[in-house]
Amino acid sequence: MAFERELFFKDADAAARSGYVIRAVDVRKVYRMGDTETHALRGATVDIIRGEYLSIMGPSGSGKSTLFNMIGGLDKPTAGKVYIDQVDIAQLDPFELAWLRCRKVGYIFQSYNLIQVMSCIENVMLPMAFAGLDGEESREKALMILERVGLGGRALHKPAEMSGGQQQRVAIARALANTPDILLADEPTANLDLRTGEEIIKLFRTLCDELGVTVITATHDLKMLKTSDRIMWIEDGLISKITTPEEMELHIDEIH
Amino acid sequence: MKHDKIGTQVKLPMGRAVQIAVQGIRIRLGRSMVTVSGVVLGIAFLMSNVAGQLISDALSRERETRQIVTLMEALVRNEVGTAAGKTLAVTVHGDLERTERLFMERVAKMPFAAVRVSGANIDRGVSATPQNVAEGAYLLLVLGQQQNIPVDLETLISGMNHVGVLDAVANRTYAGQAPRAGVKRDLLFGKETQEQMERMREHAAQARFRTVWVAIISLLVTIISISNALLMSVTERIREIGTMKCLGALSAFIRRMFLIESAFIGFAGSLAGMVLGALIPLIIYGWIFGFGLMFGEISFVRFGVACLGCVVVGTLLAMIAAIYPANFAARMVPASALRSNV
Ligand SMILES: Nc1ncnc2c1ncn2[C@@H]1O[C@H](COP(=O)(O)OP(=O)(O)OP(=O)(O)O)[C@@H](O)[C@H]1O
Ligand SMILES: [Mg+2]
Repeated sequence: MAFERELFFKDADAAARSGYVIRAVDVRKVYRMGDTETHALRGATVDIIRGEYLSIMGPSGSGKSTLFNMIGGLDKPTAGKVYIDQVDIAQLDPFELAWLRCRKVGYIFQSYNLIQVMSCIENVMLPMAFAGLDGEESREKALMILERVGLGGRALHKPAEMSGGQQQRVAIARALANTPDILLADEPTANLDLRTGEEIIKLFRTLCDELGVTVITATHDLKMLKTSDRIMWIEDGLISKITTPEEMELHIDEIH
Repeated sequence: MKHDKIGTQVKLPMGRAVQIAVQGIRIRLGRSMVTVSGVVLGIAFLMSNVAGQLISDALSRERETRQIVTLMEALVRNEVGTAAGKTLAVTVHGDLERTERLFMERVAKMPFAAVRVSGANIDRGVSATPQNVAEGAYLLLVLGQQQNIPVDLETLISGMNHVGVLDAVANRTYAGQAPRAGVKRDLLFGKETQEQMERMREHAAQARFRTVWVAIISLLVTIISISNALLMSVTERIREIGTMKCLGALSAFIRRMFLIESAFIGFAGSLAGMVLGALIPLIIYGWIFGFGLMFGEISFVRFGVACLGCVVVGTLLAMIAAIYPANFAARMVPASALRSNV
């Protein structure tokens, strides 16, 4: 046990030097429902470099969303550790955890999770309110972000009055509300048309290059994969390989 | 533990929580109204039952009071025969009971030639001193609840043209002495009225028990109705609570937000329910039995306490009913709250 801890400390030091923003170490997640057990993650280990654009590929049900929940501090792993900025997030108190979810990480959920009764701009202003920002300042900032994702004219619409792609963009805008260091996006372009999808990819790339935001996306979008720095392949709860887009293209060429 | 790179979430001030809670009510106004109406119904039920009890209780007390007054009046009539051409004397010592006051009003309407009064005011009465009030009178009424009156009975009845004294208090002393045997002195609250009073007291005790019992049963129904309404309104928002937690809301903030929201809903609902629940029995009883009969004996203090109690109970119940599911939702792991499908 003592030996293990020492190992972790050494690793943490190494991570600090090499600039890992998130490290998942042997993360396992078992969902129990009655008698059945689902092993959503079977020991995923991954180091995510600060400021990189990482895409996660994997078939449906392979554990992508589960991994997102773990590394974003939205769920507790059954076993294993998650470090954000070298801090074991299991050690955080509720205030620190809330701060992390509010300012450090921006989430784009697969099912958007917009608050249905609130207008688009109110949805974007919500995380700002939790960060202590309110009034005109937050309204202006929210409007600016909405314009950035091409929804400036629809700020007062409710999610139910919008198309899937528009809702997805509101979710993206909300994730950017508190200018997070890490952007966790679960299939952010799944419902977008080609052009809007490309714009969002470009936006992510810009955030990454200019603001140093670490972008992590689960995706099946070829364009998204090509734009990213690294591609992580996940299969049946295990990370099978990490490649660069060039390697992936070779891979696809091989198949054809 | 301190981490140089992980900050601590700010606690939002109370004003901000109130603002967000009010905004929440406004945004889902339709849904909030459904929850409010759940509270309205519960409290209207409680209030109408309690108010109905208080009113019917007051009605039966009023009816008995009037019976007693009629009995007293019959006693006077029995004593004087025809009132015409005769003088009545009334002397009052101490506080008048409601029955005595009503009785005095009735007596004043009888066709006496003159009415002499001391210690009170009667329509067309001639005021006199306690010593000479009975001069030339045919009948003397001694009213008021004072145990001892400062004039002795002989002085009182000297100068009467017919010695008849009706006293409201059984063991009253006159100038410190019990009335001497031989002086004719009947009691207004004679055997019959005394029995009636006794029955009245018994009825009042029964009515009080019935009121408490009805209040307890209605309270149970109200608790279920209100907690159901609030439980629904919170549990159907567990996903929303999960989303808020993912966006950085503290559990304490979510608890507080729901506490404020439910307090508003509870207060508005129970205020409306209280008015509704008080008005309905007032109008129905008043319409059937007449408002005069109803307001005669009603205890406004008890009625006010019931109104206030209903509002307090409704507000507290709503808060308690909301805090349990809100607390439960606030403590859920955000990822599982997001998946909740209530
Ligand atoms: N809350 C839960 N309770 C029970 N089982 C769950 C839960 N969440 C996920 N699972 C299971 O865990 C496995 C991985 O799910 P996950 O949502 O991570 O897949 P995914 O890779 O995101 O799939 P998709 O591409 O379809 O979104 C699935 O078999 C799923 O059924
Ligand atoms: Mg998924």
